Amino acid sequence: MKRTVARLAIGAAAVAAVAAGLLTRRRPAVPDPALPDPARRELSRPDQARREPFGKIPGWPERFRRQTARPGQARSLPRGLRLRRGLAAVRLAVRGGIRYAGSAPRLFAAAGENRERLRNDLALQTAEDITTTLGAMKGVLMKIGQMASYVDDGLAPNVRRTLSRLQDSVPPMSQELAAQVVEQELGVPPERAFAEWDPVPIAAASIGQVHRAITRDGRAVAVKVQYPGVAETMDADLDNVALLRRVLKVTAPNQDVEALVAELRERIGEELDYRREARNQRRMAAYYDGHPTIRVPKIIDEFSTRRVVTSELAVGARFSELAGWSQAERDLAAETIYRFVFRSLYEIHAFNGDPHPGNYLFHGGGRVTFLDFGLVKHFTADELQPLVHMVRDLCVDNDPEAFRRSMENAGFLAPGAPLSTETIIDHMAVFYETVRRPGPLTITEDYASKVVRQFFDLRSPVAAYASIPRSYVILQRINLGMFALLGQLHATADWRAIAEEIWPFVLGPPSTPMGHAEAGWLATRPGVIRSQA
Amino acid sequence: MTAESYAAAEDLVARSAAAYVAAVPESPADEGFFGPGSVTWRVSTDPGTPIAGLRALMIQALHPLAMAGVDQHSDWRQDPVGRLAATSAYLTTVSFGERAVAERAAARVRRVHELVRGTDPVTGQPYQATDPALLLWVHAAFVDSGVAACALFGNPLSPADADRYVAEMAIAAELVGVPAGLVPVTAGELERYISSVRPELRCTPAASESMGYLLDPPGLDPDIAEIWQDVRDGTIAALPDWARQMYGYDAPPLTPARQTEIRQALGVLDTLYLGEPGVLEARQRITLRMRAAQRA
Repeated sequence: MKRTVARLAIGAAAVAAVAAGLLTRRRPAVPDPALPDPARRELSRPDQARREPFGKIPGWPERFRRQTARPGQARSLPRGLRLRRGLAAVRLAVRGGIRYAGSAPRLFAAAGENRERLRNDLALQTAEDITTTLGAMKGVLMKIGQMASYVDDGLAPNVRRTLSRLQDSVPPMSQELAAQVVEQELGVPPERAFAEWDPVPIAAASIGQVHRAITRDGRAVAVKVQYPGVAETMDADLDNVALLRRVLKVTAPNQDVEALVAELRERIGEELDYRREARNQRRMAAYYDGHPTIRVPKIIDEFSTRRVVTSELAVGARFSELAGWSQAERDLAAETIYRFVFRSLYEIHAFNGDPHPGNYLFHGGGRVTFLDFGLVKHFTADELQPLVHMVRDLCVDNDPEAFRRSMENAGFLAPGAPLSTETIIDHMAVFYETVRRPGPLTITEDYASKVVRQFFDLRSPVAAYASIPRSYVILQRINLGMFALLGQLHATADWRAIAEEIWPFVLGPPSTPMGHAEAGWLATRPGVIRSQA
Repeated sequence: MTAESYAAAEDLVARSAAAYVAAVPESPADEGFFGPGSVTWRVSTDPGTPIAGLRALMIQALHPLAMAGVDQHSDWRQDPVGRLAATSAYLTTVSFGERAVAERAAARVRRVHELVRGTDPVTGQPYQATDPALLLWVHAAFVDSGVAACALFGNPLSPADADRYVAEMAIAAELVGVPAGLVPVTAGELERYISSVRPELRCTPAASESMGYLLDPPGLDPDIAEIWQDVRDGTIAALPDWARQMYGYDAPPLTPARQTEIRQALGVLDTLYLGEPGVLEARQRITLRMRAAQRA
């Protein structure tokens, strides 16, 4: 019973993630003077000190050398960097009541001033070290920790602590070992493959680490290097489905364990092959090429293989730094994230399944770089169709019975459930509140918490008749992740108007300065065919 | 599942972890009795260690006098978790602690042993815990189990390293009061010694009960208990045939696939252990010293 109820909540939230955009309508009775007027925002006016530009960094080799000497001080952080932002995310999450712990693989959290020395002295030196550290289920458990942090608000504190410690326990590869992997993959050692190679990793990925380099033609790049042998180790561990099932029952007791096992195996399988990530990112980068505010670093094909993936190095502010930016800036950043998520979904039928704060870099003026495409979920038009119908039925056509039928068609609700349509709408409304009516509204952390509570509400009468089809499982991750992010940004916008711009069944006019800029971008792209999903 | 039983299961991990953390020194004045380059340190940090510990207890318990001493004098029945934690703390101190600290811990053990004497209800024989013969049996079972568990579920020792390990560990026997000349110092000697004691062994009711508890601790959270089953199977598989038969367990064929599964279960349990405060840091202290010894 408990599990079924949770499935309903997931179903509801997944629908909402697609349809509503995870945002709330908080309409103050009197206008709040503290809220900026969205109409006055200008895309070209970042009010922060000038941020790092996209792409190449003039004079970077000098910075690079300085930072190589002081890796702890690194500020230019490429894709996949999760180290300190992960910790910041945990702090923010605690403050906001949304749990992010365990979502951010950290680059070896050793204590205090000994950190750098410990990192070197404990570095993984051989493939055997990696088997010891990530074998025997430990790598898989780390991934479960990441997943569970998105899908389960009810993680027991000791489980949370344990999975978080596990991430702390993984040191980086030694310089020699990382270089060996690069040589095996690219055929030459990194010092010869690149004009400059920073042997000190600047970030941890869950199954690898990120190094900076400069190509022979002068491009600054981020090179993600996979731990050797980790694929074989984790493959073997993923075969022990019985044990996975038991572990998931302990770590995520409210979830559909079978769906999680399937999801986990599929996702880890994909993540272990960097070529897939490169394909995802290439596709995203090509689609968003020239976009006014959305940036996806380009993949450098000649340095990308199964276990090494190289992309342009992006530099920008981390999510935690947005706390010091003006609200107008944060609103713009939120608008870009919102546009990115829903444009990707409706136009490319793809969803980035890893919405944690470490995967964004911010440049002011609403410009955002999106990083890490290891967990992209692709939908077929058939999979997307019912979700599109649901939002259309409820928010545009205002037809509750049609909405109910669409829910049934999507597999979220058992046909013929003895429930009034009103009851169903009552349960679902919270997830659609933000796009049911036009007008500016603010996403608060309170609202984010409320949606998470509703997500895990085990008492709903709808529970017994609801479930979530497997192809939508990943959506719940986006849902919670997005709520956390946008709630922390305290972002205000007319989300309905923006959604209408993107909804393929509306294709509304630009509603914000960013919308105008986007329309201009779309006009220059005759090759981009608007989807009719 | 009751709250109380869950707490008991958690307690097992938490208490042995706390004992472990306290026993690994932060800035030791010396390298202890073995040192970071020793085989002993490698065995003590091997993933198979939990099975080594359980296997050792099972073999030790087959000596009726050793078992009677535990059963009649220790708080084993009242507080088995505390008893196990204390034993594992002692072993960690002897392995990784400074010499003076290990000696003090051994002196405490010897003092406690002075008080442990009585008559075994099964054989009718008198016993006392200071008896070098009993101490040697306990020692031999432990050392033999380290080698066996590494071989099956961790990093197997070469024959030469197995010899080194047996020789290194002789000091541990001496610390609790076994005269140096009695302690086996090669794997071959150890094997012969164990065979020589076998006629005295019996699976007494106390042994059977205690080991039944150990292999299937009542009140474990059902999900943890399922994982514990793999550990139990691993322990039984690691026993010598004669010991397994004395307990009346079937010998499950240990296929490579099953071996992998048991290693994976050990990894899950180890992750729980790692989640306890200070365990990661204690391990890092050990690894750092082992790395430094390798470089030297």
